[in-house]
Amino acid sequence: MANALQSGVVPVTDSRSSKPDTDTEFLTQVGAGAVLRGALLKLLEVRSEDPIGFLADHFGNLAQSLENGDSGSAVEGDKKKQHQQQALQSSEEQNQHARALWHLTQAHHSQRSAFNNNVAVAFSLLSRGGRKRKLGLKGRVYTELLRRVCRDGGVAEPVSAPLIKKLHCQDHEAVPFDLFRHAVLTCFVFADFVRKSRSLFETVSPSDGILCRAVLGSLRDALETTGCSDPARYLEASAKLTPGRLAQAMDRAQTLASGTPSTHMGQEEFIEEASALFISRVKLVS
Amino acid sequence: MNSERFTLPVDEYLALEHVPFYIEDALSQLLEHKEEYTQFGIVRFFADYFNSVRNGNHILFREFSFVKATPYNRSSFLRAFWRSFRQIGKNGDLLTVMEYRSLLQLLCPDFPVELVQKAARIVLMDDAMDCLMSFPDFLYAFQIQFYYEEFFESIAVIYQDLLSGKSPNTVIVPTSFSAEQVTRPATSDTAAQEGVDSPLFCGCIEALCDRYKYSHPPLSSIKEILFQVQRVSFYGFLMAIAKHEGINCDIGSLPSKADLLIDPEMDRELEKLIAQISVSPTSNSSSSTVGHKEPVRKASPRKSLHHRRRIDIESDGSNEETDSSEN
Repeated sequence: MANALQSGVVPVTDSRSSKPDTDTEFLTQVGAGAVLRGALLKLLEVRSEDPIGFLADHFGNLAQSLENGDSGSAVEGDKKKQHQQQALQSSEEQNQHARALWHLTQAHHSQRSAFNNNVAVAFSLLSRGGRKRKLGLKGRVYTELLRRVCRDGGVAEPVSAPLIKKLHCQDHEAVPFDLFRHAVLTCFVFADFVRKSRSLFETVSPSDGILCRAVLGSLRDALETTGCSDPARYLEASAKLTPGRLAQAMDRAQTLASGTPSTHMGQEEFIEEASALFISRVKLVS
Repeated sequence: MNSERFTLPVDEYLALEHVPFYIEDALSQLLEHKEEYTQFGIVRFFADYFNSVRNGNHILFREFSFVKATPYNRSSFLRAFWRSFRQIGKNGDLLTVMEYRSLLQLLCPDFPVELVQKAARIVLMDDAMDCLMSFPDFLYAFQIQFYYEEFFESIAVIYQDLLSGKSPNTVIVPTSFSAEQVTRPATSDTAAQEGVDSPLFCGCIEALCDRYKYSHPPLSSIKEILFQVQRVSFYGFLMAIAKHEGINCDIGSLPSKADLLIDPEMDRELEKLIAQISVSPTSNSSSSTVGHKEPVRKASPRKSLHHRRRIDIESDGSNEETDSSEN
C-alpha cells in the first residue's frame, strides 16, 4: 500500500494505544461523551428511519441554539441594535417553530411514548418565554403549527381547513399542554387518514362512483358505531369493515344501481367526503 | 427501513446504518484535527460531520480503508467520482487503467491499483489489459467491482469449482427453472471454453446469497441475467451485471447511461471561465490527457468542513495534484 501517502493519516488503533490518556482526557474535556450520549439516547427513543440524517439535524439544531444563545446576550441601546434584535428575534422564532415541527415529525404517532415525548419537547420549545414574550404557547403559533402539520403531511388547505377550524384557538389565548397534544395527534392521524383515503380511491375508482359511494357508506357506518366509549363497539365497527363485508356492500350497491347511468366521482370529492366523516367526529375546541 | 426497526434490540438498530462506525470515525477525526475543530465547538463539529455523511461528501480525500468500510461509503465515493470526472465522458476521452487509477487517487490517495485492474478486466473481457476505455464503460464496471467486491470474489470461487467439475459445497435444489433439459459437456475442456451451466450457476449463487453478509445484487436481477443464456462465462456474467439498469438503480449512486454525462452546473462554470479567457483556452496544455479543467484557486482538502463549497468537489484535485501525478 502507499505508505508514504498514508503517513499523514493516523489510524484510530495506533493513536489509541500510544497515547490513550491524552486522547480520553481531551474528549472528556470537551464533553464529547455527554453530547454523544444525549444524541444516541434521543435516536434510540425515536428510532428514526434515517439515523444519520437524524443525528445531523439533532446536532445542527443543538449547535444553532447554542450559537443563538450567545448572540442573544447583546445589550439593548441603539435603535439600530433594537431593529437587529427584532430581526434576530423573528428569525429565532422561525427557527424555533421549524425545530418544534421537526421534533414532532421524528416519531410516528403510533409509537405512542416516543411521540408523546416529542410533543412535550416541542411544547416546551414553543412555550419558552423570550425577551418580549410571556411564557406559554400562543394560540396564533399553535394554529399555525397545526396548519403546517397538515400541509407537510400532504393534506391540501381546503381539506384541512374545516379541521383546523374545529381545533383552533384565539390568537392571544394560552394553549394548555393537553389540548396541544390532542390537536397535534389529531392532525397527524388526519394526515394519515387522508393518505389512506387517497390510496383507497385509487383502488376503487377505476370502476365508477357507485363503488366509491358504497365504500364511503361503509366507512360512515363503521365510524358511527363508535359513538360511545364502549370497547366492544370498536370491535363491532371494525367488523363492518372486513374485506368480506365491504365486498358485499359494493356488490349490493352495484346491483341496485345497474341500469342507472354511472356517475363518476373525482378524487377531490372522495377525499372531501372521507375527511368530512373524520372531522365530524372531532370535538370542537371551545 | 420498515417498522421492524422499533422492535430491534439497540445494537441491531444502530448497526442498520452503521451508526457506531460513523461515531467512532467522527471521534477519531476530532482527535486528529483537534485545533481545527475545537475552535467551532464540538457540537458544531458533529453537526458538520453528520451533515457531510448525509450529503455523501465524507469520503473525499479519506483513506481507502474508510472509503470501502460501508456500502454507503462505497456508493458515495462512486457518486463523487462520477460527478468529479464526468467531463471526461463529455470530451469522449479514452483512458488507460493507470490513468483512471490516477483520477481515483485524486479523490482517495491510497486507492489500490488491483481494484482498478479488476474493473478493467470486466470492460475488456479479461483481454488486452492495456486497451483504452471510455468513461461510461469504465464507470459502470468499476461501480459493480467496487460495490460488490466480496461477492465477486465468492462467486469466482464457485465458478472455478463448477468449471473444474468439482461439485460445489452448496446443495443444488432443482428449482422450477431447471425443468428444461440441461446438456452437460462431455469433458471439462469444453466447459472451460463455454463457461458454466447457467441454471446450475444460478442455483449456487442463490444458495450463497441465503446467508451472505456482504452486499450483493438482487437475486431477481441475477436470475434475469442468467435465464437468458444456457451457458455463461465469468466475465460475460460480470459484464451483464455492469450493464443491468435494475442493479444500477439498486446501488443508487449513478444515473442511467443516458443521463450520465449531463452536468449543467459544470457547463455553466466552464462557459464562464472560457468567456473570461479571451485568448485560446490554456486548458489544452500537455496535462489535458486527464481532461482537467482550468485551475481554480481552491481550499486545501483538510479545511474545515463547513467552508467547503460544493463546486470544490468538481474542481478539487484537478489543480493541486495534476502536476505531481503526471507520469
